[in-house]
Amino acid sequence: MITHSRRTSYWQAAPLAAVFLVFFALPLLATLMVSFWSYTGYSIEPALILDNYLDAFDRCIVSLPDLCTTFRTYLSTLKFCLIVWLITLVIGFTVSFYLTFHIRSTTTRLVLALLCTIPFWTSNVIRMISWIPLLGRNGLVNQSLIGLGVTDQPLDWLLYSDFSVILAFVHINTVFMIVPIANSMSRIDKSLVEAARDSGATGWQILRHVIIPLSKTGIAIGSIFVITVVMGDFITIGLMGGQQIASAGKVIQTQIGALQFPIAAANAIVLLAIVLMIIAMLIRFIDIRKEL
Amino acid sequence: MSERRSRSFYLLSIVFALYVLFLYGPTITIVVLSFQGPNGGMTFPMNGISLHWFHNLWAGIGVPYVVDALLNSLKLGAVVTVLTVVISLMAGLAFRRSFRGQSVLFYTVVASLILPSIVVSLGIALEFQIIDQNVKAIGDTYEIDVIQSGYQTAMGLMTSGLGAHLTWTLPFGLLIMFAIFNRFNSSYEEAARDLGASSWQTFAHVLLPIIAPSLVGVVLFGFTLSWDEIARSSQAVGADNTLPITLQGLTTSVTTPVIYALGTVTTGISFAVILLALAIVVFIQKRRLRHGSDAGKGLV
Amino acid sequence: MKKDNTTDLSRRQVLKGGAALAGAAAGTAITGFPAVIAAEPVTLRYLSTAVNQSPAIAERAAKDLGIKIEYVTVTTDDVTKRIITQPNSFDLVDTEYFALRNLIPSGNLMGMDAKRIKLIDKLVPALTKGEVAGKKIGDQGTAPHKVMYLEGQNSKKFASSPTEWITLIPTTYNADTLGIRPDLIGRPIESWAELLNPEFKGKASIMNIPSSGMMDAAMVIEASGKHKYGDKGNMTREEIDLTVATLIDAKKAGQFRAFWTDFNESVNLMAGGETVIQSMWSPAVTAVRLKGIACKFQPLKEGYRAWASGFGLPKTLKGKELDAAYEFVNWFLSGWAGAYLNRQGYYAAVLETAKEHMEPYEWAFWMEGKPAEKDIKGPDGGLLEKAGSVRDGGSYDQRMGAVACWNSIMDENAYLVRKWNEFIAA
Repeated sequence: MITHSRRTSYWQAAPLAAVFLVFFALPLLATLMVSFWSYTGYSIEPALILDNYLDAFDRCIVSLPDLCTTFRTYLSTLKFCLIVWLITLVIGFTVSFYLTFHIRSTTTRLVLALLCTIPFWTSNVIRMISWIPLLGRNGLVNQSLIGLGVTDQPLDWLLYSDFSVILAFVHINTVFMIVPIANSMSRIDKSLVEAARDSGATGWQILRHVIIPLSKTGIAIGSIFVITVVMGDFITIGLMGGQQIASAGKVIQTQIGALQFPIAAANAIVLLAIVLMIIAMLIRFIDIRKEL
Repeated sequence: MSERRSRSFYLLSIVFALYVLFLYGPTITIVVLSFQGPNGGMTFPMNGISLHWFHNLWAGIGVPYVVDALLNSLKLGAVVTVLTVVISLMAGLAFRRSFRGQSVLFYTVVASLILPSIVVSLGIALEFQIIDQNVKAIGDTYEIDVIQSGYQTAMGLMTSGLGAHLTWTLPFGLLIMFAIFNRFNSSYEEAARDLGASSWQTFAHVLLPIIAPSLVGVVLFGFTLSWDEIARSSQAVGADNTLPITLQGLTTSVTTPVIYALGTVTTGISFAVILLALAIVVFIQKRRLRHGSDAGKGLV
Repeated sequence: MKKDNTTDLSRRQVLKGGAALAGAAAGTAITGFPAVIAAEPVTLRYLSTAVNQSPAIAERAAKDLGIKIEYVTVTTDDVTKRIITQPNSFDLVDTEYFALRNLIPSGNLMGMDAKRIKLIDKLVPALTKGEVAGKKIGDQGTAPHKVMYLEGQNSKKFASSPTEWITLIPTTYNADTLGIRPDLIGRPIESWAELLNPEFKGKASIMNIPSSGMMDAAMVIEASGKHKYGDKGNMTREEIDLTVATLIDAKKAGQFRAFWTDFNESVNLMAGGETVIQSMWSPAVTAVRLKGIACKFQPLKEGYRAWASGFGLPKTLKGKELDAAYEFVNWFLSGWAGAYLNRQGYYAAVLETAKEHMEPYEWAFWMEGKPAEKDIKGPDGGLLEKAGSVRDGGSYDQRMGAVACWNSIMDENAYLVRKWNEFIAA
């Protein structure tokens, strides 16, 4: 093995460490600190008060079994997380499977993979507002359905509803599932699959006993991505839900907009804690570093 | 058996095709609607067909400073990409050996990936606000004129904005580097060593050329992530806007299909850039084949 | 030359709203400067939202004055944020009067010298005194005349009677009401209460801006007879609770199709037929009409919710930019810009000069509520109204005279934002 002094690693890793210290660790500390500050309409003042956290959880214990706003918001966001995760998992897995096991040439695989990523080069903002002409009351889908005689009243629930939020989320996030799962799948030794087939396993059995267990890492990584993106989102839920559906991120953004930084910081810390808890649960399934 | 494979093959192909259609639905809508006639609105039905909105776009939309925002995004994207490649390459090299604090660093990087963007953005904004308040306070206590009248804020496109983007692109860059180095066969380096190459020569003439196509992947990824980034930048860019932020601002005031024209144009540019990147990769590969090496097959 | 509060330098105060202390020296330099017209064109950085930034006005200003206007476009919240945290990043700001309750205490806006404003006496009494045609109009909320004057140039307190230091020189204002699709509704709408009428279930919308949305809701609730507010622009906690509870009930019953935050969203909702009745702004109604779709800014019997915006100067402004800013403001009031605004459905701050720049038939249509003698065109030439039609709501006196309340930031704003989040989450 090449022997460099261990010290080379330190200065090689130094820029990375520096960036994350200044732009990640310190900001988090700043957020934690500010969450204890007080505020007026135009300034924030150093203090050490728990008011912001108390406000965030206003009447949460008292009003049980009715849920308070914070609980309800997180529950709603978690619900979306779960549904989106399931759908993106199924679609992502299927597409990855197709790309890995059914496409033989690398070039075709590359081209198809790129095909899947090109839509993301159009600004996210523009893509989202284009759902409205598609799904609105006078939109393309409704007009086709009415034209085909499937229904005589436009379907309201296509837009500004849970359905449209989930649709938009799946649209944006499936690719986050495809990439890690495809990565894991491509490292499955093909001879294992052959061996299973030779031993008489059916397609489904191969899937269940060979492919899925070996793709566990990819599935876990993809799930982590998707769940954290949905938990922290405020743009998609807002736009696609007609601003009527709450999300944890939206609460924070509204407060930032009103310059109420300390309570926004408190809510941010709460969101952080919840996301970390979810990740901690998921991470039991894999050791990311090793499995890469 | 081969028959069974083809059946599921066709089934899955249909699923894949549907998925791609689903992916492209909004893009197709945007392209179609951008050809609306001059009286067209933002929705169907089409009110005539014309290039009117492309002309409108070219004339500057009638809303200020889209071009400025575009240039800002390009500048920022370029800087972010270069920094991402360099820093993640260096860090990737560092992680090949174990060193003290590596786990902490690794988990911090991963944490940055999974933390909600608005939390990171808010954090950076607060950090810089505190810096600002303190600088101004110093300026006042010591009556430093240059601070009092000239200092606006430490926040800016290339300071806090750059940092915000880096927290998003570096984790991806690092993870890709891990994937690259995990598959990298270090016997090439050993061979170079045995032939008497110095560390730098090994790096420049053996390591880099082999991983070059993958680095192109990092470049593409880094630029894409930075180009369309809005959640993290929203609070952190300071006074100058990037393109996604301006676009979001535009959707607050523009009520005509010119936005769709903009979308079509950006899609077209993306196509061009990806084709260009592909061409570069193919070119590198062909060149390598010509020179008799078979290293670097495949993208990663 | 520091005037106010900089002697106590305990760390806490030094950190607190740090920008407030900066540049105290700069503000006092006004009176000493000669009125030199700079040899090279001065550039003024003009901060506001996109809706106020018209290229036509900037062009005309460059032509008439030689001053280059550089627009800095941000969202509404960001305007406030910039003023509070980065006052030296702009030279001129166009913001609304209701935000002043947060902006003035930060100390970053300096009072404008009334003596330097040539047409100071011609500013409309609706804004300076709260009167139209001699009668007092509704002044619930943050009526401009309550926050127009400062005790001193750099004072952080509002003066209760006119002084020579003005917070914002008015640019434009209007009376807002509900927008409707008369073709889809098919019957006359006369009251704010119709917004929550179950007949429009799934077809209504309200603006998702906490303070204004809350006030629209208050107009609706008061119109339906459920409660009479002490001050719709400054609600008590109980009133806020009541308003939010009513909104939540309506939302759960499916009354609202969507909410809108941006002017563009409101246009698309109306134009696409997603909503038939909603809070709306005048230019949005115009935009829908320009698409050939019938849309009416419906006058309602309970009155209008009004707003006003104006020019402010940052405390740090001095030298030739300061002179140029006053020149620009004076030019803005001198008629061309006022006429431009009138033609968009807004009202200008100085009516006489605007009248001089408008054709008599335009003035009759927009301001006197008379039927249009000829087709009325929008600012970029598109057809707005056919000859013979009457402006929604009638004349200036009829509309501004029926103002019930003004946009405001309430004392209980923090509580309001929290309850609004509850409404969204319900």
